[in-house]
Amino acid sequence: MLNYMRNKVMSVARVREDLLSVYGVLDDDLYGLWMKVGIDLPGMEILSLEAGWNRWTTPECRLAIEPLQEAVGMRIEPGLRQKVQKSISRKACRHFANLLLECCHAAKEASQWISTQDLEKDRAPEGVSGDGKKADSPSPSGGHEKGAPQKDEKPRERDSSAGIIIDLHVHTSKGSPCSSAPVDGLIEEAGRIGLGGICLTDHNHVWPPDRVEDLRRKHGFLVLRGNEITTDQGDILVFGLDRDIYGIIKLEELREEVLAEGGVMIAAHPFRGFLVFDAAQLGLTPEKAMERRLFKHVDGVEVLNSKVTKDENDFAGKVAAGLGMPGTGGSDAHSVEEVGIYATRFPGIIRDEKDLVQAVKRGEGVPVAFRRNRIT
Amino acid sequence: MPRVTCFSRSRCTGVEQLDDQTIRSFCRLQDTFMEAMVEITARVPDLDITAVRGEIQRSPNTETPEPTPLLEKVIGVRIGAGMQKIFEGLLEGTGLCKQLIFMLEECCHGVILSFTKGTVERFPHDEEEAVEYLARDVKKHIRLYNRCAAFAPGSRIVEGIKPPR
Repeated sequence: MLNYMRNKVMSVARVREDLLSVYGVLDDDLYGLWMKVGIDLPGMEILSLEAGWNRWTTPECRLAIEPLQEAVGMRIEPGLRQKVQKSISRKACRHFANLLLECCHAAKEASQWISTQDLEKDRAPEGVSGDGKKADSPSPSGGHEKGAPQKDEKPRERDSSAGIIIDLHVHTSKGSPCSSAPVDGLIEEAGRIGLGGICLTDHNHVWPPDRVEDLRRKHGFLVLRGNEITTDQGDILVFGLDRDIYGIIKLEELREEVLAEGGVMIAAHPFRGFLVFDAAQLGLTPEKAMERRLFKHVDGVEVLNSKVTKDENDFAGKVAAGLGMPGTGGSDAHSVEEVGIYATRFPGIIRDEKDLVQAVKRGEGVPVAFRRNRIT
Repeated sequence: MPRVTCFSRSRCTGVEQLDDQTIRSFCRLQDTFMEAMVEITARVPDLDITAVRGEIQRSPNTETPEPTPLLEKVIGVRIGAGMQKIFEGLLEGTGLCKQLIFMLEECCHGVILSFTKGTVERFPHDEEEAVEYLARDVKKHIRLYNRCAAFAPGSRIVEGIKPPR
């Protein structure tokens, strides 16, 4: 017997020379929704959108209808999926977003067929008059960082007896498109709340050493270089690997590279889970999770991360403890005010990436809830 | 102008629990130009993909490579947060039809929704009680906050709940 079933039906009619009408229905065990989209030809712009619910899951799902109008004006071109996921999925409903993408894809298929038909019609009496429509290339969103006043200081010496607390997981707007945090702002905030250092772990991007050295001097603050690399087994925080990795890499391949460079790998938010159900519902126990391939190829586990639930952090903590692996803490900050929510305390001095790698290898780090224990 | 359709598509996704440790999900597509299917099996409770196969029965593109060996690159990937990025990274540029990548995602979303169904079945039937129940859920899973219109400011569900930092 099927536990779950979803059916989607889309149909496209050319209701005017320059207008497609797309009708889509999504019906599954949880939701029933419909959508009617008007799309102009040949521009492929969404001109109108009507939608409604037949069945829903929460009493407030009705609120999703109004924000769907944000789709009007969008064009069916490369980058549409990201746009729809950012606006419609988040502000309205991800199931409407899914249906909208289906409707748009159906319209695109139809328009290609229509242009072939039109060309054939034109060719018959007089020859070809192609319209040559091509999608615009998507424009990357490049974030600029506000410059902070130059201080040109050397990093402050820290009291070695007290150790140092470093936020090991921070994203900057310069290196991670998903972050809104300028690097200068992050450093200033980290200094203000009393952190000893931060580690820049942008997605698949390592900061150049000279740029980070400039930041250290400018702010008189310890800034380290790391990387959050997406593997087939999820995200891995890597320290001590001095090159960018593009695309998705197999975990074992990454391990080989990192070991060759003498670096370390930490499983980032390993149990970042689903939104409405959890490990317990799946029957996932820490013992079972310890068998994962992931944990055979890392040096530590991120057990405090501010982007996951307390249960997910606790679960990661149990797995790390069960495996006898060091746990680390990092905010996973994507905005300035998130830096230092969680961090890692090291007993000795950390001056650079080499010190950090050695300290992680020795299992010296202790994860701490930093910001919430301070008056900020 | 007569309103005869110039394109039609139906897509069906289904999920079946084969045994305590195995779940199967399939996605079938039938449209004016194409007919295809993708099927995965995943291991419970980790939800890592243990097998995958794809088939294109009908397509305007005659140059499409055999899909299964390409799709098999995702064996071992866990169904869950971040999977779309991993699938795209592993499969885009391999020559695999993009439609099949989407169908693979649909199979995985089906698996997730099959578990969500269990959660939704526990929602109280009374509207006010359901709002309270969901509010407790948002407090527990704060990532739900602002996830969609139902969990955004203006909704009764998140009334009085402090937004996450």
